[in-house]
Amino acid sequence: MQQGLTRREILAGFAAGTAAGILGSTSAAHAAVSELVWATWESNGHPEYVTAFEKETGTRIKLSFLSSEDAQFAALKTGSAADWDMINPSLNGSWRYIKAGLLKEIDLSKLPNAARMYDVLKTTPKVLDDSGKLFAVPYLWGLNPLVYRTDKFDNEPDYTTLFDPKYSGQLAMRDYALESIAIAGLVAGVPRDKVFLMDAKELAEAKKLLIAQKPLLRTYWQTIGDLTNLFATGEVSCAFSWRVPYDELKGKLPMGMAKPKAGIMGWCDCFGMPASLSPEKTELALKFADYLLGAQYATEIARIGNYATTSSIIRDDLTKEQQAAIFVDDMEVMKSFMWPVAPDNYSDWLKIWNEVKAS
Amino acid sequence: MPFSRVHLAFPVALALVLGCVLPLGLLLVFSVFTVDMDAFEMVPDLSGHSWGQILSNPVFAFLIGKAVVSGLVTAGLAALVGYPLALAMARLPVVWKGVANIVLLTPLYTGEIVRIYAWRIVLGSEGLVNAVLKGFDLIDAPLKFLLFSPFTTHLVLLYNNLPFMVLAIWISVELVDHRLIEAARDLGARPVEAFTKVILPLTTPGLAVGLFAVFALAAGDMLTPSLLGGTSGATPMAMIDNLFGTAFDWPLASALALSLLIVLFGCASLMAGLLLRMRGARAVFAGRLP
Repeated sequence: MQQGLTRREILAGFAAGTAAGILGSTSAAHAAVSELVWATWESNGHPEYVTAFEKETGTRIKLSFLSSEDAQFAALKTGSAADWDMINPSLNGSWRYIKAGLLKEIDLSKLPNAARMYDVLKTTPKVLDDSGKLFAVPYLWGLNPLVYRTDKFDNEPDYTTLFDPKYSGQLAMRDYALESIAIAGLVAGVPRDKVFLMDAKELAEAKKLLIAQKPLLRTYWQTIGDLTNLFATGEVSCAFSWRVPYDELKGKLPMGMAKPKAGIMGWCDCFGMPASLSPEKTELALKFADYLLGAQYATEIARIGNYATTSSIIRDDLTKEQQAAIFVDDMEVMKSFMWPVAPDNYSDWLKIWNEVKAS
Repeated sequence: MPFSRVHLAFPVALALVLGCVLPLGLLLVFSVFTVDMDAFEMVPDLSGHSWGQILSNPVFAFLIGKAVVSGLVTAGLAALVGYPLALAMARLPVVWKGVANIVLLTPLYTGEIVRIYAWRIVLGSEGLVNAVLKGFDLIDAPLKFLLFSPFTTHLVLLYNNLPFMVLAIWISVELVDHRLIEAARDLGARPVEAFTKVILPLTTPGLAVGLFAVFALAAGDMLTPSLLGGTSGATPMAMIDNLFGTAFDWPLASALALSLLIVLFGCASLMAGLLLRMRGARAVFAGRLP
């Protein structure tokens, strides 16, 4: 029986280890090319939505969930998101990324499924730079309603409900300056087409309302998973929300979804690629972008998430009920939306929001 | 100069100094820059604008003060709860000391988010505590203050940071010569007197380590206040995060971060001064028995 190792064996071991390390690195480099990191919202990127693409191409889609649009922008701007291959700017926020030179130009001819996009979204100038070059492609849209427990409210709530002392301790607002201050603006009487252009006086009114609202709130929600948990555990009965808690809990709890007449916050997500993306990754990312505009993703996200893509590719195959569930039964709905857009004085909005939270 | 063991510490000390001084230097430089929001660029400048905002807007002082109070309250409570636990652990047989250590550290093996959601289940309106109280007819309506309140924040901060206090005190207690305690008792000292006159001074190093660690960890926590503190969960750390990330206002974020650091450092120095004034503590720190 061998009792120890000779110097020759130790050196051979080191050599083998080094070789394994080098080979391991090489294979890791290959593996890196077959993976794309997609920074998106939790609700847009369930693993099952991308399974078909992964099977078809052998490319793994690694999901990196966002907390807010502003955080996404800042992460790109500061270089702290170097591993992201695909990002998710909003339709109304795309100009910031384009102006800051953070996005790579997109050749729409490489996305065959773009042919079926709704015209209003396919031809939007919001994703072009001053010279008309395309930098982002809208792929998903919907509305952000009020979600509430139908057993706790006699009437369908509206934005004033979120400021009503009668419901103290049952309400929640998103920890996000843009939407929360806009809602306060609507309650203060600012028309929906001017709410994102509020002047200092109107902002001061909104701030007053938000400070008065604070003791009525159970909490500010951070992520949509957080809010779903708050509804599921009975902590919150009504909140400005995304539709996720409604869809997740409607079978278990009496859940309702309200579309306030004062204005419905619409949203539209775009697909974009960081300006520094390598050519290999760009090819893969464009393939994935085409997948996002295709039938498979549209079917899965309509079935599970109740969201509509910007493509009409599956619309005619859906029943009237299925169309209604994802708001594509009447396309006129898009005209009543408010599209949240960061105003020029957005830093003032952020300061107000921080002052409200610290009050 | 001959090579000695002290020299071995130089590379590490250098790394520590550079790792600490360089980021602080950058923060100081950034704090006098300005931001061009049109180009989303930081502009090198020598502006006092950010520092002016820190000094003139009471929100910043309020948030820093809140963090200091949070840190002091948590550290104080941890010391109160930690001493009996550490003393009890020191009296255990050797095998059980190991078990106690594992039990004490178990909460740290789980992620902070897991602990936060677990606390929500325990303290929520329909949670464990309210269900038990209701089951015994002790309450009619759920106790809402249990969750999303300053009470929740400090309870969880205490729970999260207690191991750092207990371990530090326990190690100090283990080093105490038990004959000194026995001598005090033989000479007529009551248990409380033996604690205040013998154990407390002799374990001041452990107490100091625990206090500094818990104070820093609690004052700098962001997730616990944010996800369990409800509308009272605003912290300077969250605001710094907000300013660095959301607002792209790096100069203001840097000025706030430095202000927080200066205040926390001042508080820690004050705590150190007070500890050194404790009877006998200075001698223990100097390596002499009182």
